[in-house]
Amino acid sequence: MTTVPGSLIWEIVKKNNSFLVKQFGRGTAALQFSKESNNLYNLNSFKHSGLANAKTVTIQPGKDRSVVLATSKTKKQNKPASLLHKSVMKKEFRRMSKAVTNQVADNRYRPDLKKAALARLSAVNKSLRVAKSGAKKRNRQGVKIVGRK
Amino acid sequence: MAAARPLVTVQSLEGDMATDATPTVALPDVMKASIRPDIVNFVHSNISKNSRQPYAVSKKAGHQTSAESWGTGRAVSRIPRVPGGGTHRAGQGAFGNMCRGGRMFAPTKIWRRWHRKINVNQKRYAIVSAIAASAIPSLVMARGHKIETVPEMPLVVSDSAEGVEKTSAALKVLKQIGAYTDSEKAKDSQAIRPGKGKARNRRYISRKGPLIVYSTEGAKLVKAFRNIPGVEVANVERLNLLKLAPGGHLGRFVIWTKSAFEKLDSIYGTFEKGSEKKNAYVLPRAKMVNADLARIINSDEVQSVVRPIKKEVKRAPMKKNPLKNLNTMLRLNPYAKTARRMSLLAEAQRVKAKKEKLDKKRKPVSKEEATAIKAAGKAWYQTMISDSDYTEFENFSKWLGVSQ
Repeated sequence: MTTVPGSLIWEIVKKNNSFLVKQFGRGTAALQFSKESNNLYNLNSFKHSGLANAKTVTIQPGKDRSVVLATSKTKKQNKPASLLHKSVMKKEFRRMSKAVTNQVADNRYRPDLKKAALARLSAVNKSLRVAKSGAKKRNRQGVKIVGRK
Repeated sequence: MAAARPLVTVQSLEGDMATDATPTVALPDVMKASIRPDIVNFVHSNISKNSRQPYAVSKKAGHQTSAESWGTGRAVSRIPRVPGGGTHRAGQGAFGNMCRGGRMFAPTKIWRRWHRKINVNQKRYAIVSAIAASAIPSLVMARGHKIETVPEMPLVVSDSAEGVEKTSAALKVLKQIGAYTDSEKAKDSQAIRPGKGKARNRRYISRKGPLIVYSTEGAKLVKAFRNIPGVEVANVERLNLLKLAPGGHLGRFVIWTKSAFEKLDSIYGTFEKGSEKKNAYVLPRAKMVNADLARIINSDEVQSVVRPIKKEVKRAPMKKNPLKNLNTMLRLNPYAKTARRMSLLAEAQRVKAKKEKLDKKRKPVSKEEATAIKAAGKAWYQTMISDSDYTEFENFSKWLGVSQ
């Protein structure tokens, strides 16, 4: 199928697209984010872009506190419905991180995204954590609150 | 004909006659044309100016008074002033853009250049570009369309879609081909326009949904689809850049009917053959045969001739001051070692000599000598005391040698 190379797509898409968030920072401190689900760091860059890369990794929270890990299929680039290779994970963190490293780096899929994928997994996992029930542990040492009267 | 023309599956709808093999159509060459956002943007911004209607302020506005300047000498500015009396208006400034009731600065005229001429080849390039971009999922998603459920891009549906008569059936069609989410997005986005446009017959705004392209003139689907929010309908022979690239942004989500898709080759031509419908038109050829820059750079052909990566880091040696660092000095001046040693020895010699000299001067007194000195002192004191004890003046006379 006609596949347009990622570098060309990136040139078309990098300055203006529907996922781009340009509102943060000013001047030299400006920082551009991107809202694609398959952008691990949510950064507007060629490396992390979910639009311009044929191989992308998605890590998202799924149903009932599960984590969805999805990688895109390079041979289904123009079939959006069957683009992703999805797997739903409901394991403890160690085993999930093992699965992520396996799917991202160890099988040479996107070794450059290993760190990003693990960071994302950690963040997603943390967001799914439920607070422990029961009485709160009391802090015996009084915590000093600075600058309050 | 190119040997391997990629095929696009035709999405069949419910009620189609079931065939064993999935029907496919060859990808038209338009879809492989070069994608030029710059040309699309330029042509779009110019084309969109062609549906404007002239407007201007009244020619007379601000000039319907016989105001004259009072000239100098009245201690007021020389702006023309309304004549007469008996009303507040008399004596007020007139005409100027800074005056209340004056005309605007550079009043707008109806003979502004409202419309633009665009070269026909540029227009065609833009349309071809927009069609090519509509076949790429990334660019369609980047425009904001929801195409996650679409089975394939470009999306071609069987010709039975052209016979859809009812909007309810049209919605079903959209659901079957996974395009419903996009029209749903357009529906959810309906809102009242912010700003003055509300009062200028542009009250409602909404996102754009899919564009449905059909081929047979007077097809039933036009009326079936046209009331679905966001959905637009167009004939292949009359594709419009304003619909293919709304806002000048590439990548409209386009749904083609099979016959419309097949017509594309005859309308826009192929890379081998010119267009049948457009006079002497051939598709623009891409500047790069392979636009995959990363692939070219990382190819063996290129990598075999470029110099290898310089991996070791070269650091400039640290500058050391020979006056402070002995080793550096010795490297520069081998005699420095001897000179230094001799100077050290000489210094030690000097210190020793000085010490000896001082010691000699500060020779400590022995116990006997000390007692002797003490005794001498004591003796002297005693004599002094006794001498001063002159109770009798006899001594004086004795001393003076005067006999009484």
